[in-house]
Amino acid sequence: MQARLASRHAAERRFRLYGLFAIGVAVATLGGLLFSIVGKGYTAFVQTEILLDVYFDAAAVGDLEGLGDDERTAALRRVDYAGLLRDSLRAQFPEVEGRSAVRALTALVSAGARTTLREELVTDPDLLARRVPLWLTADDEVDMLMKGQVARDLPESERRLSDAQLAWVDALAAEGRIRTVFNRTFLTAGDSREPELAGIWGALVGTVLTLAVTLAVSFPMGVLAAVYLEEFAPRNRWTDLIEVNINNLAAVPSIVFGLLGLAVFLNVLNLPRSAPLVGGLTLALMTLPTIIIAARSAILSVPPSIREAARGVGASPLQVVAHHVLPLALPGILTGAIIGMARALGETAPLLMIGMVAFIVDVPASLTDAATALPVQVFLWADSPERGFVEKVSGAILVLLTFLLLMNAGAIVMRQKFEKRW
Amino acid sequence: MLLAASDGRPEVIVANSSTEDDKPKMKATAVDVYYGDTHAVKKVDLPIFVGDVTALIGPSGCGKSTLLRCFNRMNDSIAGCRVEGEITLEGRSIFDSEIDVVQLRARVGMVFQKPNPFPKSVYDNVAYGPRIHGIARKGPEMDAIVESSLERAGLWAEVKDRLQESGTALSGGQQQRLCIARAIAVDPEVILMDEPCSALDPIATAKIEELIYELRGRFAIAIVTHNMQQAARVSQWTAFFHLGELVEYGRTEDIFTNPVQERTRDYITGRYG
Repeated sequence: MQARLASRHAAERRFRLYGLFAIGVAVATLGGLLFSIVGKGYTAFVQTEILLDVYFDAAAVGDLEGLGDDERTAALRRVDYAGLLRDSLRAQFPEVEGRSAVRALTALVSAGARTTLREELVTDPDLLARRVPLWLTADDEVDMLMKGQVARDLPESERRLSDAQLAWVDALAAEGRIRTVFNRTFLTAGDSREPELAGIWGALVGTVLTLAVTLAVSFPMGVLAAVYLEEFAPRNRWTDLIEVNINNLAAVPSIVFGLLGLAVFLNVLNLPRSAPLVGGLTLALMTLPTIIIAARSAILSVPPSIREAARGVGASPLQVVAHHVLPLALPGILTGAIIGMARALGETAPLLMIGMVAFIVDVPASLTDAATALPVQVFLWADSPERGFVEKVSGAILVLLTFLLLMNAGAIVMRQKFEKRW
Repeated sequence: MLLAASDGRPEVIVANSSTEDDKPKMKATAVDVYYGDTHAVKKVDLPIFVGDVTALIGPSGCGKSTLLRCFNRMNDSIAGCRVEGEITLEGRSIFDSEIDVVQLRARVGMVFQKPNPFPKSVYDNVAYGPRIHGIARKGPEMDAIVESSLERAGLWAEVKDRLQESGTALSGGQQQRLCIARAIAVDPEVILMDEPCSALDPIATAKIEELIYELRGRFAIAIVTHNMQQAARVSQWTAFFHLGELVEYGRTEDIFTNPVQERTRDYITGRYG
């Protein structure tokens, strides 16, 4: 008896240890994942800039006299800003001679700097014929160098920056002409081929639009289906068959839904390709079974005595559901919906099938504009050869995770609000 | 259709007999209830009179609750449940296609075994029925209905300062009285009570019994109970069921003092049950 008791206690201690070990592994994995992503990704949120004294040469602009506002703006937009930039850099480094050397020099500054110059001049034409100090976005190679993500001590042939370019960067740094600032572009721009100009905003808006469609379609449909199946449908072979099929549908690989979306929404209904509308509908198909299953179990957990009470005072079946069952089941339904939405948020495969994988620079403004989504953007960047996109990948994942956390937090707040009412 | 004092009634009404002069509020005639293959209620005739309490007694599984639930068609929603025979409310069949079950339940209210207030405020619990039936809108009219219903259920004094608290926060006995208030708020003609005290302590039970006694003047009340003292205390008519059959029906004092059937006597004296 005594020995048996001891072995039972030992078994219990072992069992607890296994549990602790499992939790430890889970926490360590999550921690390691977050640590690695944040460690790699935080640099995506800062950007290297170079201070240049830009001379807005009046000769390059030409004669503006006698032109109307619109014509003048058009003329200012036509200016050869690449030339202005080149001249400014050569003024900084007068010793540089020769076409290839000058090209190497101009490569230190991002191609986007031309746009910066143009916007400066168009908004303030008084800058003409003046020398203005401007902070300009550095090229991604310089950015990588300043962030310490490329090694200086590699042989020149294995580096993207030549020895001469390194020397120029060092010279600029020594003069205090290089700084690191918060990367507004990353949070406000669409995609770009240039890592320093690429932003997450386009994909974020695409994701928001897509998920809005998903929620608008799958939530009401899922809840209605669940209510009908639980509260109104007769129990027979047909409803059993439907139930089995819904459960199976929840386990179907997401790419299959992508194929369905491609076949039905694009080929049959001729909806626009790459659009959040189609992406949202496709993800809604995928999310629907999850929401139905969660809503059914939430409805099932409402005590039958409440239904009897409502029926007993003469509530119609619809009133029983609308006044009593649904409000009580709503927290559970919301939990299920948020699980489904979180899955939809991270889904890439179905979106690839309906063309949301395209390279899209413009931020989508409507449900039918071409767009991409956050996880697809991660996929696209991870596929890009430039070194500068590595940190963007982690940065995009951080944005994705933040979005997910916000969504879940919103769901928790809503759930508590509804629970408090009862 | 309020009947005069029960003095004028015959001393004993045996099952399958009816009286011409006393029109019952509700009347079951040759009712059979089946759950799938189980024959739960067998050819039962039972009247329910206004101004009186009719007690349905009998051992567990004898079909008394099933029969009670037929009176407002609560069995409709149970899969596999089939009701045959006739039940009338003021002479009209409640299975008539012109009778809406929603309306029927407004006229025939129900109180359940376990107190089941809605997880809403005390006020909303009582106001729910009048609201869905359009008896009263929001405001003073509804306030008056809520107050008088709670008053009649003997709960007003206890809850008048906590009308906005959740109904589920009340004690068990208070919850059951709240359920009774909810049932009478729509001013039904019949109230069915399915073992209303079985989940309550003796003090709460006493209060409910007192309440039933007071309410009987206005309503026709049918109560299912396991507690024979309770049946003896609150009812004027008693129906004894066994194995789905109505064994004996009559005035309560006769059933308890001078039962005709041997099975009734055995049950009442505690031989089985």
